[in-house]
Amino acid sequence: MRRRLLWRSVWSWIVLAPLLLVTLLPFAVMLSTALKPHDEVIAFPPRWLPTHLDWQNFVDMWSAVDFGTGLWNSLVVSLGGTVLTLAVSIPAAYAMSRIMFRGKDTYGQFLLITQMLSPILLVLGLFRMAASIHIGDATLVDTRLAVTIIYAAFQLAFAVWMLASYFTTIPAELEEAAWIDGAGRAQAMLRIFMPLAVPAIAVTGIVTFVACWNEFPVALTMLRDPARLTLPLKVVNLVAGRYSVEWNQVMAATLLATVPVAVVFAALQRYLVQGLTLGAVK
Amino acid sequence: MKLARFGLLACAAFAGVALGQQARAETVHMTVSYYSAATGPYFEKMAAEFHAANPGIDVKIDVVNWDGLLQKLRTDISGGTNPDISIIGTRWLLDFVKDDIAEPLDGYMNADFKDRFIGPFLKPAIIDGKAYGLPIAASARAMYYNKDMLTKAGFPNGPATWDDVATAAEKLKAMKEPGFGLMAKGTEVDVYWYYALWSYGGDVVSPDLKAAFASPAGVQALTMYKSFVDKGLTEDGPTNYTREDLQNLFKQGRVSMVITAPFLINQIAKEAPKLDYGIVPVPKGTTSSTYAVTDSVVMFKNSKVKPAAWKFLDFLFTKEPRVEFTKGEGFLPTTKAEATDPYFTNNERLKVFVDLLPTAHFAPTVTGWEDTAKAVTDAVQSVYLDKAQPDAALKQAAARADESLGK
Amino acid sequence: MSAAVGGSRRRAIPLAPWLLILPSLVLALVIIGYPFFEILRLSVSNVSRFGLVRGSAGLSNFATIFGDPIFQNALLRTGTWTFGVVAGTLLASVPVALVLRQPFYGRGLARTIIMLPWAISLAMAAIVWLWSFNADYGMINATLRELGLMQGSVQWMARAETAFPMEIAVGMIVSIPFTVTILLGGLSSIPGDIYEAAAIDGARPWHCFWRLTLPMLGPFINIAVVLNVIHVFNSFPIIWVMTQGGPDNSTHILVTYLYELSFRLGRPGQAAAVSLAMLVIVFGFTALYMRLRNKDPVA
Repeated sequence: MRRRLLWRSVWSWIVLAPLLLVTLLPFAVMLSTALKPHDEVIAFPPRWLPTHLDWQNFVDMWSAVDFGTGLWNSLVVSLGGTVLTLAVSIPAAYAMSRIMFRGKDTYGQFLLITQMLSPILLVLGLFRMAASIHIGDATLVDTRLAVTIIYAAFQLAFAVWMLASYFTTIPAELEEAAWIDGAGRAQAMLRIFMPLAVPAIAVTGIVTFVACWNEFPVALTMLRDPARLTLPLKVVNLVAGRYSVEWNQVMAATLLATVPVAVVFAALQRYLVQGLTLGAVK
Repeated sequence: MKLARFGLLACAAFAGVALGQQARAETVHMTVSYYSAATGPYFEKMAAEFHAANPGIDVKIDVVNWDGLLQKLRTDISGGTNPDISIIGTRWLLDFVKDDIAEPLDGYMNADFKDRFIGPFLKPAIIDGKAYGLPIAASARAMYYNKDMLTKAGFPNGPATWDDVATAAEKLKAMKEPGFGLMAKGTEVDVYWYYALWSYGGDVVSPDLKAAFASPAGVQALTMYKSFVDKGLTEDGPTNYTREDLQNLFKQGRVSMVITAPFLINQIAKEAPKLDYGIVPVPKGTTSSTYAVTDSVVMFKNSKVKPAAWKFLDFLFTKEPRVEFTKGEGFLPTTKAEATDPYFTNNERLKVFVDLLPTAHFAPTVTGWEDTAKAVTDAVQSVYLDKAQPDAALKQAAARADESLGK
Repeated sequence: MSAAVGGSRRRAIPLAPWLLILPSLVLALVIIGYPFFEILRLSVSNVSRFGLVRGSAGLSNFATIFGDPIFQNALLRTGTWTFGVVAGTLLASVPVALVLRQPFYGRGLARTIIMLPWAISLAMAAIVWLWSFNADYGMINATLRELGLMQGSVQWMARAETAFPMEIAVGMIVSIPFTVTILLGGLSSIPGDIYEAAAIDGARPWHCFWRLTLPMLGPFINIAVVLNVIHVFNSFPIIWVMTQGGPDNSTHILVTYLYELSFRLGRPGQAAAVSLAMLVIVFGFTALYMRLRNKDPVA
């Protein structure tokens, strides 16, 4: 039995090897370039290993890119977007998974259609809309609030889908038992359903968070003031249209912006698989 | 007694109002394009100095990459959130004027102001007799060559004509050394070819605003470039190289000749100080010529703080601010005052660029420049990739350009 | 745990469900609806370079676009791109999911690594790949040279013949984690006893896969295809960062051409027309696909 496991492990790794290598390549490149001193970045022929590890690049990059500000802004819009998404999606998913109502299919199709419109198509209109809403002296443009709201609107279709598919695996009988015992519908939902739904909500929250963290076109159009830029914007700014690009700093920034999220996300992927199980199709 | 107290109160009130007036500061928003790491700090410094001298006016600076500048401005204008003043590429100016977005500046200038500028640089920003922009950055283009390589190829003082370039590159190729740098990716692919076009007496746009580059001069120029690519006299895969890439190659001695702007001087000094290089005019075909480019500052019509914004511009275009900017970025002086600064008069390398100005071509002030640029870029790329012949490609590009030029 | 199908109450309570979906409906309608109508308006208007609307243009924007050879090529290429990435992703994801389904030593680590691309911003991933493919300083050429597989340098991004396949490959790499996750979910929903029954009947592994696994994975493959097609069709950063749709428009797909029209060439009216064309295509595909497979992918 153990021999079979060993044998299967070996050939599993062999089969997966090409994909694993290709997946890890960008990270290796990032690490290698980020640690190179400036003149080795465009040395020819290029080498994987720098002559010495230039950790200073990370420090330089942090101040050159104002990484801390970008980090904070990304956190604000991602958390805000996630909370707002969950706030509107949980009730909707509850309805979708529990209740047959007229227009349910239409609503489902409407959600799917919202996914078909790429943000690139909509950014100009979004911008004009934000520019027409005045708050005090300024408009909604260049505010993290606007970005947060837009993110929630774009993420909710996927969140509803994920949550609904998970919710259908939670037996309705538990709540019905509570109704029979005289609990109100809302009470039953809160006290019996919600605790069971927490894993689903957590997983959906993480996926939404990551999507907001990595989003680019909407943030690019809406945010201007350097004090409000998110991380992807700051990183791309280092590359786009510059007379001369500091690749080691770009790679250091990309690495720092990516790795923490990637690690958390990947470590929780097991729950992700469970979350997308079943109920995905009735 | 009562009168005195009343008087005191009145004074206090009056003082309060006066102070209040001053405390109500005006804010001027300025968008600047990113030229180098020094750009942001420079403008912040200027904003601070100006504010110290004019406490009632606050200047806010927004630095934007060139890549996204036009897009940002377009989005902002369509949303009504544009800045008060902004740096733009002068070649975009006519579009701004036609859409009635740019403010004519003559009314703000006194007689001396116009005189501050070096004539040829101010001209491109004058449309229908009115000045709409002030030249803030200027550069011309010349040929940088690697002295070691070119001496080996028999041209110790650099190539003078395109035939020289070809001969040198062939000798270098035989010695397995790199040759002529040709860029065909990113922005200014069209301009890189215009160097050759103009040197054979051709032009991009005719006086009656039609595409003029599909002329015999154009075909000759493009055929020549293509032959460079085909014979391996350029770096491998030109469509993979932007101007930035080519400059990197040059700094490392992996390309021996490249045509670009003065700011490379600063870059080489910082990154490859041991490189032995020279600067000569763009190679001659039948005539001598180069490309001169200005970026202008414009004021937007919908600005609510025009006098304040103008005051800041006035300040920016005095001697010290100008010298600091132009020197730091590696540009050419646009005002007469800066040009007298010893840094410029004693600078051998910059002198080459400055001497080229009398015969320089500026980008024509015409609408549809972006479309023309794209049409030409597509055409030359397809020729370098062996997908089309110069004659046919240029004719097609001219047809495409004519759809937008002057409209 | 067996599938708890149902849980849907047949008792129709008119008000409550609408209240529950109302916030999401309002949010989506406002944020997505408004720009959508804006696009509709722009597509039939004469729009200046600065987005100022100057009167109606009827259908001339559409006519110009459909007659534009760059648009036509981009349309075809978008088909190639979408098909290439989605099919490739699916073909790669099925075996990967099958392997990851069974326990083996270090499975958690393998799963973690395979999921990594999902966590990277597409724009940043594209930048890293662009740098890796750099002909002079990129690691791909360097590694190929060190392994002795190559002498000179391949100019990957110089021509569409080499650039486009690589862009498709990158597209696949970033889509695999999501697809594998869906397929794993599907696989874990297949009850194990049917395999035992089949084994008793003497069925061999290949038969098991083809006749049992694949059909039961059907609905999950459907979702993966539909969602992937929608995302890949609209996927902008990879191609834009690596080649900007060039050289000579040879790697343009509809969404990158749309971007160029709108923000580089200053033709928002035509860009809006392209957006609408794209929406119709994606919508048409989804409707057609769903009808053919006769399943509603939304729970």
